[in-house]
Amino acid sequence: MSENQTLKLAVIGGGPGGYAAAFLAADLGMNVTLIDPEANPGGVCLYRGCIPSKALLHVAKLIEESQQAKNWGIDFAAPNVDLARLRSWKQGVVTKLTGGLGQLSKQRKVQYVQGRAAFENSNTLRVSKVQGGEESLSFDRIIIATGSRPAVVPTLKIDSPRMMDSTGALDLADVPKTLLVVGGGYIGLELGSVYAALGTRVTVVEMLPGLLPGADRDLVLPLHKRLEKMFESILLNTTVAAVKDEGSGIRATLKAQDGSEQEKVFDRVLVSVGRKPNSEIPGLEKTGVQVGPKGFIQVNKQLQTDDPAIYAIGDVVGEPMLAHKASHEGRVAVEAIAGHKVAFEPNAIPAVVFTDPEVAWAGLTETQAQKDNREIKVAKFPWGASGRAMTLDRNEGVTKLIVDPKSERVLGVGISGVGAGEMIAEGVLAIEMGALAGDVALTIHPHPTLSETVMESAEVFFGTSTHVYRPKRG
Amino acid sequence: MTQSIEFKLPELGENISQGDLVRLMVKPGASVNAGQAVMELETDKAVIEVPSSVSGTIKDIKVKEGDKIKVGQVVFTVENGAGGKAGQKTEGPAQATPKQDAAAEAKKTEEKAPDQGDAQSAQAFVERRKAAADGKASEFKLPELGENITQGDLVRLMIAPGAKVSEGQPVMEIETDKAVVEVPSSVSGTVKEVKVKEGEKIKVGQLIFTLEGATAAVEASKPRPSPVEHVSGQHGARLAFQAAIRAEGKTEEEALPPDQPQAPAADFAIPAQLGKVAGTDHRGPIPAAPHIRRLARELGIDIYEVKGTGPGGRISEDDVKLHAKTLLTAAVTAAQAQPRAGRLAVPELPDFSKWGRVERVSMRGVRRKTAEHLAESWNTIPHVTQHDRADITELEQLRARFAPKAEEAGGKMTVTAIALKVCAAALKVFPQFNASIDIEKEEIVYKQYINIGVATDTDRGLLVPVLRDVDKKNIVELAVELSQLSKKAREKKLAPADMEGGTFTITNLGGIGGVGFTPIVNHPEVAILGISRSRMEPEWITNKFEPRLILPLSLSYDHRLIDGADAARFLRWICEAFEQPFLLSVQG
Repeated sequence: MSENQTLKLAVIGGGPGGYAAAFLAADLGMNVTLIDPEANPGGVCLYRGCIPSKALLHVAKLIEESQQAKNWGIDFAAPNVDLARLRSWKQGVVTKLTGGLGQLSKQRKVQYVQGRAAFENSNTLRVSKVQGGEESLSFDRIIIATGSRPAVVPTLKIDSPRMMDSTGALDLADVPKTLLVVGGGYIGLELGSVYAALGTRVTVVEMLPGLLPGADRDLVLPLHKRLEKMFESILLNTTVAAVKDEGSGIRATLKAQDGSEQEKVFDRVLVSVGRKPNSEIPGLEKTGVQVGPKGFIQVNKQLQTDDPAIYAIGDVVGEPMLAHKASHEGRVAVEAIAGHKVAFEPNAIPAVVFTDPEVAWAGLTETQAQKDNREIKVAKFPWGASGRAMTLDRNEGVTKLIVDPKSERVLGVGISGVGAGEMIAEGVLAIEMGALAGDVALTIHPHPTLSETVMESAEVFFGTSTHVYRPKRG
Repeated sequence: MTQSIEFKLPELGENISQGDLVRLMVKPGASVNAGQAVMELETDKAVIEVPSSVSGTIKDIKVKEGDKIKVGQVVFTVENGAGGKAGQKTEGPAQATPKQDAAAEAKKTEEKAPDQGDAQSAQAFVERRKAAADGKASEFKLPELGENITQGDLVRLMIAPGAKVSEGQPVMEIETDKAVVEVPSSVSGTVKEVKVKEGEKIKVGQLIFTLEGATAAVEASKPRPSPVEHVSGQHGARLAFQAAIRAEGKTEEEALPPDQPQAPAADFAIPAQLGKVAGTDHRGPIPAAPHIRRLARELGIDIYEVKGTGPGGRISEDDVKLHAKTLLTAAVTAAQAQPRAGRLAVPELPDFSKWGRVERVSMRGVRRKTAEHLAESWNTIPHVTQHDRADITELEQLRARFAPKAEEAGGKMTVTAIALKVCAAALKVFPQFNASIDIEKEEIVYKQYINIGVATDTDRGLLVPVLRDVDKKNIVELAVELSQLSKKAREKKLAPADMEGGTFTITNLGGIGGVGFTPIVNHPEVAILGISRSRMEPEWITNKFEPRLILPLSLSYDHRLIDGADAARFLRWICEAFEQPFLLSVQG
């Protein structure tokens, strides 16, 4: 559209939401400025999140498998970990990817401003540049994509180099002998796994009665069992009442639900109790943007804030705080700005926990269905019946479909096991396409792969799974 | 480049398509911020403050107080500003609204020098008039196909000269960049000349074919209120909006071929979105693939209203298109049915200025609403008026006696206040007068409550505030409430809710005079009581004339539901209740 060529758009924040928005806007002919304090686009995801953690988790898995290999008649010596080289490899991955984004940004003629933005009004930003100087820039539309940061618990806020958040943990300063992970969510479990694989004795403390709150229990179980072996201990229904830096370590007071307390000393403590939206943007009060009670910027289905000139996407507008949700939102916001009739209305947003085994789910969960009192049928295929899982010596997994009993439509998919993160995409597609259990069952899946478990779980729905025998119900 | 941004009248609410500008709060040169109130607008329903959706310095104000402003119309332009919605034009002011400027210009010329008579515009006018009057040769233009679709390729033409078409019949297939769409005709008749060929690119509004012996193509030059676009869940209004523009084959001016003399009406712009999308949250996932959902959104269809024919109710592209076509056909029919009825009532006006000076004044909110509502009542309801007289000699003495009581309480013991009580009692005895007709369902709706409206004369026009649960209140209470409501009405403080939910209406013209009149039933009610002036009359009572105070009453009713005998009985009951107030406590 010709109008868009002159439309000036600013995107504040160069994470996966912000750069996806900026790139699409440039592709649609808008004049785009992308503002971020880092040297290149990437945001938390690339610099301090998804990507570096996955690099480390890959290494962790290799170490784990090398130990498991003795079951198969292969004995490896204990690994010799050169932390400096490991760090630099991880850093290399990050540099390559962010550099690539910088290139893509240049090729699209996106003006990349390395700095921080403050609002002067709905259309004007004051940008303080990293290399010094300030500039006031005006735009027709502004997209806020400022993301989130690790949440801080006041009782755990002590000034000590032994206290880490996810960013600190990814820096991998050393391999501590002992590590306390506060919070049994996906960040704590992923990073805990990395340290455990490197030789740290890890203790996880979770306030709630189970790991990965929100996920179905049957999916968490295989992971929980394995982590119990990997970790020193997993303490559920437990909080950390106090921490104290004693010089040689952090003394933590762990308080169980029954009120009993125990004290333990750890070399390091990782606080991973969730993330907070970065909605405290200077000058935001000079615009019409409204921030909700939990700090999320309020938007409509077009990602437009209460200020018609300003849109917001990603972690800063709400849960789930996931990169793939942010980039989809970024694209929708830009299309809306371009005048297309669009809305953010996915049928499913996949969630993946990249532990070993991985846990992934999409669409309706059993937990949610119970909460909504919604009638569903769950078709579960245990990986014990999967040939491929057996060849990997990893048959603890499970694949399940949540199906609407009337229409037989697939409403949700949950997978726990090796490679679940890759496999969940098929589930998302099935949900988005309105596939029926029959469609999934009748789609030929390659043998021998783990993906067959998706097909067979659909067969389980009809009671005709090849590899699972269920006596007919009367 | 200095950018000039337009502020257009945003949507104001369901079914509100325009309003009268009562107060303008900004001037050129002033700076506005988004959210700042910039004007007061009087709509059918209320006076509202309209906030700006743009910020900047006001450059040019395109409207003045007293103007009628439509949703989407440009109100002002700002410089160095921002806001509004993407897709709004941001050209320089010279280009901003040429059409309106031209129209205003033309109007000025006409007013200043009617005898000079700008030859061109006069001729254009005559031509337009001719085209409008000449019902035999009509035209079919490409209607609006969906938002952001301004043209398409003609892939298949299904008619030829000499062929008969009827409204709703598909006449061609158009391929847009979104989909291939069957376009139904909005006119009926015999095709005279086809103006397009297969393979051609056709723009919305372009002439497709002309007709002989056409029935009622929607007259393009007739300005129709451009309905409101609702981004929200107010889906009905949204469809009505699209239906109307589709039926009229109208679109934004740039989409119109330059050689067509085009109607000045219906400046259509997507209004700046105010607030959040309401009512659309928390809807479960729909069994439609992502690109089908997007197609529906592009066509302006709520995917949740589409019936899926696939396995498990899955919605296919065809389902969406079929739904679109059904809506389109329905809209065309609806759009045609209405003006036809309207046209019977409103024949073309002569040029009044031929015979002397005239002044044209805009029909303000209440006046227009009254006109529409009463025309609708008159068109729908077969009216009959029953007249009767009540002897209120005794009642008048009682009234005078108890008047101070009402006054103490802050009300006035008027005939209307008493009539409220009397009617409430009568409605209990004759429930069919407290009913409505649901023609569609073929049902009679008997209301278990008695809310009576009282027609009130105000300087804004006729308003009908409603008193609730009249049967549960005594006359003094009713007198007090009536005084309060009348005061509210005159002070323009009535809220829409104060005028809703009536089951019967009383209109009292007795304060002015008259011996009888035929009130129009306030649809969807089924009866209305008219009260005229009471006066002393000689009554023949037991062999001699006696001076009695007589109150003339006129009851109009909906003959579909109420028979003449019932009406006579009902009105007689009311008369007797006036004559013997004791009846109220016995039967009421």
